[in-house]
Amino acid sequence: MEEFSLGPLELQKYQPNRYPFIMIDYVDAVLPGAYARGHKNLTLNEWYFPKHFPDGPNMPGALQLEAMAQMLTVAITTLPGLEGEVTHAISHFVKFKKEVLPGDKLVIETEVLSWKRGICKGRGVGKTNNEIACEADMIITIPNILEKYLPQSKQNR
Amino acid sequence: MTNNEKYQDVFVNCFSVEKWQLNEKFIYESVPEWDSVGHMGMIAELEETFDIMMEMDDIIDFSSYTTGKEILSKYNIIFD
Repeated sequence: MEEFSLGPLELQKYQPNRYPFIMIDYVDAVLPGAYARGHKNLTLNEWYFPKHFPDGPNMPGALQLEAMAQMLTVAITTLPGLEGEVTHAISHFVKFKKEVLPGDKLVIETEVLSWKRGICKGRGVGKTNNEIACEADMIITIPNILEKYLPQSKQNR
Repeated sequence: MTNNEKYQDVFVNCFSVEKWQLNEKFIYESVPEWDSVGHMGMIAELEETFDIMMEMDDIIDFSSYTTGKEILSKYNIIFD
């Protein structure tokens, strides 16, 4: 498998989020099952800046994490047969290093550490001006796959 | 370390339980930690510990501490 890029429209095949919750603009390079890298350009037009905060607009940390999680998702949903699958977050451990501001280009780099039976462990880093703004260890799942491997639930016994 | 000790250690590590809790009543979803994600974590750790690759049907059938030993015997993991 070779790496490829995804523009905003192609990206929608692999990423179920839509406006106003798409936190990535462009995938510069994705190697399915291995990594995905791309970016989000932030303008003062972003819907959250007027409220977060009126006197000091900056990208909410939760949305920085979402951007990394969405990029990691792309690294998985581009695998054969997984296009359009919905992913859920299981656990994220995130650190924030600096504010992400209007006018910044948030460069998002994610790598898949493991992908097995519907669970992906991965790592993401967000950078602005070549400095780390946020980083996270993430576990996401594709429930449709995970559920195939589970014993019968107590509720269904 | 015996296979039984290795097996117990996987459960203790994955589900944060004491060894005395590991008996026939220790089943899937009997503790909060043994949920869907915990199940996959345990399977992955068992595979690493015993250097095996479990089949899908065995992962589904692995519904209790006791059943798990029977399933692992199919992979030539012998418990004394």
